This record gives sequence, structure tokens and C-alpha cells, in this order.
Amino acid sequence: MLSDLNDKRALITGAAQGIGRSIAELFVERGARVVLADIDEEKVKQTAADLGAATLPVGCDVTDGEQVASAVSAAVTEWGGLDIAVNNAGIEIAKPLVETPDEEYDALMAINLKGVFLGIKHETPALAASGGGAIINMASVAGLGGVPLLGVYGASKGAVIRMSQTAALELRDAGIRVNAVCPSFIDTGMVSRLVDPFETATGANFDDVVALKQQRLGTAEEVAEMVAFLASDDAMFITASHYVLDCALSGSLF
Amino acid sequence: MTELLKDKTAIVTGGAKGLGKAIATALDASGARVVVADIDGDGAQQTASQLAHGEGAACDVRDDKQVEELLGWVTQRHGPVDIMVANAGIASVAPIAEMSQAEWRSVLDVNLDGVYSSVRHAGRSMAGNGGGAIITMASITGFAGSPLISHYAAAKAGVISLTRSAAVEWRDHGVRVNAICPGFIGTDLVLDRVPEFESALGVSLNDLIAQKQGRLGTVDDVAPLAVFLASERSRFCSGSAFVVDGGMDAALV
Repeated sequence: MLSDLNDKRALITGAAQGIGRSIAELFVERGARVVLADIDEEKVKQTAADLGAATLPVGCDVTDGEQVASAVSAAVTEWGGLDIAVNNAGIEIAKPLVETPDEEYDALMAINLKGVFLGIKHETPALAASGGGAIINMASVAGLGGVPLLGVYGASKGAVIRMSQTAALELRDAGIRVNAVCPSFIDTGMVSRLVDPFETATGANFDDVVALKQQRLGTAEEVAEMVAFLASDDAMFITASHYVLDCALSGSLF
Repeated sequence: MTELLKDKTAIVTGGAKGLGKAIATALDASGARVVVADIDGDGAQQTASQLAHGEGAACDVRDDKQVEELLGWVTQRHGPVDIMVANAGIASVAPIAEMSQAEWRSVLDVNLDGVYSSVRHAGRSMAGNGGGAIITMASITGFAGSPLISHYAAAKAGVISLTRSAAVEWRDHGVRVNAICPGFIGTDLVLDRVPEFESALGVSLNDLIAQKQGRLGTVDDVAPLAVFLASERSRFCSGSAFVVDGGMDAALV
């Protein structure tokens, strides 16, 4: 039997919608209490209302260390500690590299990479005080290989994989495991926004590419299952890894 | 809680002891019917007798015909096989310069050819019966250089590659194929070779393991990952290698 998440206290960033929300739903179903952090305060309140009493919404801009620290404090104050942190908040740019404005590059890196850095930094003391725990960082298969239009996004996700490895080594003695999750194309708003620019830029039909390389779009629930596994005590010896879910997209040449 | 693998039929090769036994036990505890296959038929029977829904079978995975017959036997008794854990493996210790071709061949025969036969016959059966999950036992030695076990490491790299190709070939038939890559786990396969390893390398394996992966892994560190990969919870995972090693493979120093 696989373990559930009973008695676990979790923080999820970018939890108002998409993959983050699905992770929150599954965590609650498996018995965890969850702080839902999101920059969209209204939406995250609604998500918390939908998910029920085991959740607590907080407004949080992950590019601001103080706000990340406050989100961690919310878990400690409300639930008495922190066992699991999911650094999930992220944005995309779907543009050729040479057409990407500098300020868009900076904004993406601030959220997707510095946000993870600040998460690791501010979550660690609370996780260590709880006797150890698990950090799961949302990366992507775009961090493992090239994807037209996703140059900046992929660079940020590649960096998240690398940072997760080093964090894992540095935090092993504190009993904190750090892993990254690498989904391919998942049925979320982020991917639906990619379709038009991708087809315009490559001349390829997006659905055909998906069918050829990963059979179908993945679902946010499927990503959540992997995050929940890595967060659970069943993954006690798993750290510094990046777990791919992509229906063989990254493992095949064609 | 509903049983995750209820009504599923699984085969675990090399299931009589060590990692295979732990995986067979975990699959059984998750509700699957488990056929414990091993070259040691008596050992397979004995392990199977400790399971709620276990059966033992003698099978030498080096013999493609025996693997084919195993699949046929299980299918006839229980219907289509849903889960194959291609786990059987052996190891020996020798520097490349002193390794005979026979020693090289003996490890490749079991650890690569045996996985090929297990994957091939399970995948063929599953592809014609609505799908299934194949889990191959690889190793982090499939990624990084490993002195004294070059044959073992080469076989495991081959297993990872075979896993990817099989995943693509059967993607549209509902057959998922994934590899598990453990670090150093405290099984006989590892522990029996510690003295040879230490004398040849001039280091203490305990020190090396403490430094590189925190502690020696246990079979129970690996078994839940096999259950996850066998279950519907991982239904979008295929063609991947999943590392469970306390961080060893990721560390450069």
C-alpha cells in the first residue's frame, strides 16, 4: 500500500489554478493541511473556499522573500509546522529568443527561478524545525531539451533542476529531501496559450506534435499524483532527482 | 482505502529474495496477484507462500523460451498479465583489464538479455490485451562510471535504453515501460561484494556511501516506487528512468 499524507502540513505556491490547484486538491484528499499561496489573492481565496477547511489562502508574490517567509509563517502559525513545500508558481513566455524583450526575461526568471530559490531558502528553517520534510520544485521537460519559443522558460526550468540537486545535497543532513518534477505538455491554460504562437512559428499542427510525441495531453491530476508520491514517506530515499512524466516524449528521438 | 492494484496480475522476475522479494511483497500488499519467478524455483515458492495472493514459478530469464512459457502459464491461469517487473539480476566484481569475456557475458546474459526477454514477452501480451505496466530494474550505474562493475553498469545502461525504445513502440497500445534506478541498497548483491570492492578500491564502502548517499538504501526504500509505477497513479509516465539513491547520482563530489 502507498502512504497517504495524513498529518502533513504543506505549502503550495501558485496554488490558485492549474497544476498548483490540482496538487492542493489531491493533498487535501490524502489528508494534508495546506497553505495555498498565490499572487492572485481573490482567486486563491476562492480556491480555498472550494477546497474546504484544510486549506488556508495567502497572497504571495514569490519574487519577494518577505512574502515567501510570511507564507511559511502562515503554515507554522496555523498548522504548527511545515512538512512539505511545493514551489510551483511559474509563468511562461512563448516567443523566439531574439524577439523576447529584456524585461519579460527578467520577470520570468524572477518568478520561475528566483521564486524557487527564495522558496528553498525560507522553507528550509520551518521544514528543519519539523524534523525534516520534502521540497518539490516544479520544473519541466523543457528544462531537459530544446522547445521552439520556450527558450527562456526552458532555461529557467533547467536551472530549477540543477538548483534542486544542490539543495538536496546541502539539506540531506537536515532530513530535507528536494526533488524536481518535469511534466511535458499538460492540459492547462499555459499550454493552451502556447498553441497559436507555436503553430505560427513552426508551421506544425500542435495536436499532431502532441499525438506523435506524447500521445495525448497530460492532466494536472496526473502531475499532482507524482508530486504527492514525492511528498510522501514512500519517497524517503528519493532526493536530488528530477522525475519526468511525459509519456516518453523526452526519451524518444522521434 | 481501496486497494490500488486490486484484480491486477503481476510477475516479478528474480522475486525470491532481495529487492525482487520486497517488490513482490509490496505489490501483494496493494492487492495484486503476484507470480514470483526465479531461477531458484524453491526460493520462488517459499517467497510466494508468504504472500496473500502469491504463486511461485521457476524461470531462468536467460532462456527466452522459459520467459515465453512463463507468460503463457500465467495468462492461462489468471488471464492477461497487467504488471511485469523485470528485476532479475546478478553482479560480480572485476577490473576491466582482468575481466574474462565469460564473466562479462554472464552478467550481460542475465541483466540485459534477461530483461529483453521479459520486456518483449510481457509487452507483446499486454499490447494485445489493452495495456499494462512494465518496470525494469536498472541502476544509477547505468548513468555514471562504476569501477569494477563495468559489465553490470553497461547492462544497466542498456536496460535504460531498452526501456525508452519499448515505451515508444508500445505507447499507442497502452503499455507503459519505466526503469527504476536505485543507488546502493543493502541486499546480498551489494553486501556480498563489499570486501572485494574495498580491497580493490582502497576505500571503505561505508564512508563512500555516507558521503555520497547519506546512508545505505533498503529494499523498502525502493518497493513503493515500483507500486507507484505499476499503478494508475503514474498513468502518464512512460519511457523514464526513476532514480532512488539518496542523492548519489546528482552529486559531482
